[in-house]
Amino acid sequence: MYRRTIFAVAAVMVALLFICGCTGTTTDQTPAEKQQLRIATTTSLYDTKLLDHLTPIFEEKYNAEVLIVSGGTGKAIEYGQRGDVDVLMVHDRAREDAFLADGYGVNRRVFAYNYFVVIGPESDPAGIKGMGPVQAFKTIYAAGESNTPGVTFISRGDASGTHSKEQAIWKAAGFNYSTDIQGNDWYQEAGTGMGATIAMTNEKQAYALSDIGTFLAYKGDVDLVALVDEGDALLNVYCAMQINPEKYPDTNIALAKEWTNFLISDEIQQEIASFGVAEYGQPLFYAAQNDWEKIGVTEAEVKDPVA
Amino acid sequence: MYEIVEGFLEAIRLIVTLDPNVMAIAVRSIIISLTATIIASLFAIPLGAAINFGTFPGRKSLINLIQTLYSLPTVIVGLLIFLLISRVGPFGFMRLLFTPTAMIIAQTVLIIPIMTGLTISALSGVDPVIRDTLRSLGATKLQFLTNVIKEARFAILATVAVGFGRAISEVGAAILVGGNIAAASFASSTRVLTTAISLETSMGNISQSIALGIVLLVIALGVNLAIAAVQHR
Amino acid sequence: MIELENVSKYFGDTRVLDGVTGKVNRGEIFAVIGPSGSGKSTLLRLIDLLDTPTGGTIRVDGTDIHTEHEKSLSVRRMMGMVFQKPAVFNATVAENIAVGLRFRGADKNKIDARIKEALDLVGLGGYGQRRARTLSGGEMQRVALARAMVIEPEILLLDEPTANLDPVSVAMIEDLVVRINRDLGTTIVFSTHDMYQGQRLAHRLGVLMNGVFAQVGTPREVFTLPASREVARFVGIENIVEGVVVSENGTSAVDAGGIRIRARSPFGAGEAICLCIRSEDIRIAPAIRGRRVFDGNILPGTVTSVVPRGPFSKVTVDCGFSLSSILSWKKVDDLNLREGREVVVSFSPESVHVVRRE
Repeated sequence: MYRRTIFAVAAVMVALLFICGCTGTTTDQTPAEKQQLRIATTTSLYDTKLLDHLTPIFEEKYNAEVLIVSGGTGKAIEYGQRGDVDVLMVHDRAREDAFLADGYGVNRRVFAYNYFVVIGPESDPAGIKGMGPVQAFKTIYAAGESNTPGVTFISRGDASGTHSKEQAIWKAAGFNYSTDIQGNDWYQEAGTGMGATIAMTNEKQAYALSDIGTFLAYKGDVDLVALVDEGDALLNVYCAMQINPEKYPDTNIALAKEWTNFLISDEIQQEIASFGVAEYGQPLFYAAQNDWEKIGVTEAEVKDPVA
Repeated sequence: MYEIVEGFLEAIRLIVTLDPNVMAIAVRSIIISLTATIIASLFAIPLGAAINFGTFPGRKSLINLIQTLYSLPTVIVGLLIFLLISRVGPFGFMRLLFTPTAMIIAQTVLIIPIMTGLTISALSGVDPVIRDTLRSLGATKLQFLTNVIKEARFAILATVAVGFGRAISEVGAAILVGGNIAAASFASSTRVLTTAISLETSMGNISQSIALGIVLLVIALGVNLAIAAVQHR
Repeated sequence: MIELENVSKYFGDTRVLDGVTGKVNRGEIFAVIGPSGSGKSTLLRLIDLLDTPTGGTIRVDGTDIHTEHEKSLSVRRMMGMVFQKPAVFNATVAENIAVGLRFRGADKNKIDARIKEALDLVGLGGYGQRRARTLSGGEMQRVALARAMVIEPEILLLDEPTANLDPVSVAMIEDLVVRINRDLGTTIVFSTHDMYQGQRLAHRLGVLMNGVFAQVGTPREVFTLPASREVARFVGIENIVEGVVVSENGTSAVDAGGIRIRARSPFGAGEAICLCIRSEDIRIAPAIRGRRVFDGNILPGTVTSVVPRGPFSKVTVDCGFSLSSILSWKKVDDLNLREGREVVVSFSPESVHVVRRE
């Protein structure tokens, strides 16, 4: 009899869990009729917790639920092309342009910017501190090629926006990325997110290109410093793009527009500008609203709400 | 060393205080993997029985194939399910990508082969005299099957435990089709123990990772201990 | 009830049964005896539809059970079987016994009542809630017997049911077999390699050798009048002497290696035969010096060995060929029998069974 009872209890528990599992998987309509917004974002916006800071405000205001998939810009763009998300948040101008030109995205709005930094060990074996970014890359190349001890460069290597930026700087420095840079002993591709790349750079006491936001978030845990943090080549502009509703009509078009407009609203622009100041003593991002000339985009792209 | 000790102590604190974040992830993991295991059982056990007692050409090769599929890499399953349920895939219209349902599907597909194979082993391990006895008592085909399964119930229970263990501990498929989403609502989130450990480690939150790791270990060990306890009664 | 007609079963190239023909009558206990590996289990499995024969026909109540497939289940449900290896389901004793009734859709009250009856029948009253796996081998086998009996089979098949069991369990199961047959009229077919068990329980025996029934008959027939030298050896006749029939005048004379022996035989002069003499029928007496013994079955010889066997001794005497006798210890002492002692061996012509030598 005792055995029977145990089996019965177990059966009921399993059934309950099963039911929970089923209801737990009903994603289209939560009881409160909440709409869902799917966002694919670059890791830097996610790992700095900026989105964790912004989404609750949005969710409450629009009675929505924001689902965020974080990956490199390359991964985010892939999700966008497949129509698996409603909004992209990325930072790679060239690929954004291609994405828009191919008809996958519409309504690009720039909402934030900051600067990339070249990070490395305090000892700075290649001696790049204080240089411009292009000069610094040339110096690292020379030091790497001459086998200077301790000189290693860790690349994201994951087709992310940061990786694109890094390739662009190598190009500006006069190198062919695939023939001159890839495959060198001193050059290693991590193939992972920014946080993991910083952790790896720290382990190897190497150089790397990072967005300032992620670096500041990790700074307390690593023995790395920002060696190069000035120069136009380091500008890092974040935008949001809506997936083209003509291509994927059943994306959440309305909510995607709301999100984009939410990001460029005065209130949120202020939130972005002040985010992280309390914790790191400096902002992780700058609001794009009033600096459109400085970052080389049109006024419409930072100010005009999506209709 | 300091990092490990520190992380471990923080982990203990998170567990002892039933940190809501850690608990939500743990409960979600259990629900998703348990659902996958139940669904996989519904396929694998009858399938295993059919293969074990069936006589058809290619039976041996089929068993070999199933055993080969034991080592089906989780990311391959993840990729396959991703391609099928992504918007442009054949089942894209169902909008399953980045949902717990997608994770359940992937885990179900992942563990069906090993559960089928182990079911075959469990059933073929039943004493032939027991099988003869059932037939000599006048069992119909269905009565025969259900009673052999009943006789092998502990071995099949172990099969279910293995399936659950593999489901809850895999990360490759979970992250590909789930997306590791931490949404405001419990039901929309797809962050489970393994994907959370992966993310937290990459974000440098070692103590969080250790806490989640301990919970995962406790669940996996707990299931197996429970099964062992039942078997030894 | 059961008719076997030229039944054969090959496993690959191995011929296990090679043309078994015989008949089991309703209400009798029929024993299939034979050495290990002679195919006894296979024969029972064929009858219970657990295997299909390679050739031949098995009829139960006139139904050809291996061709009339639509009747398979109902034929099998007429029969109950107990296997050599005690096997119980991993459940309680009561649940074990209920299985067959559940298969037949019996209602709960009936099942409970029958379980109780069956447990009492096999002497396991009150064992219902025990885990069957915790029982001893003998108890498990009794559970198996109860499990087969609750379905009230018309035919009960027992495949070496007492092999490997302790003597108490053996006695209990043998007793049950007799009672089941007597009280319920169940036709019982059982196999055994223990010829004495066959003799104790069976109304008739079939001796399975080399894939066929070498002999079918009552225990008395088989034990006293074995049909062949192999059967004779199997049923425990220790003295088997080769010879040739030399004359036939009432009791015929047989020449066995130059020694003449008188015996009753149906065979004509010149036929090669074997003489089968039970040890129990051979007497040993002290040799009487100075007197030559010519007459019939009184043979002089020399003791070659005295081997204890239980409360008896087996005394072997060389009198041209070896003959063994079973004597009590006291008799051995009285006659002062030991190796090398000269004795006379005697036996009556009636105690000699003659079979053809092939």
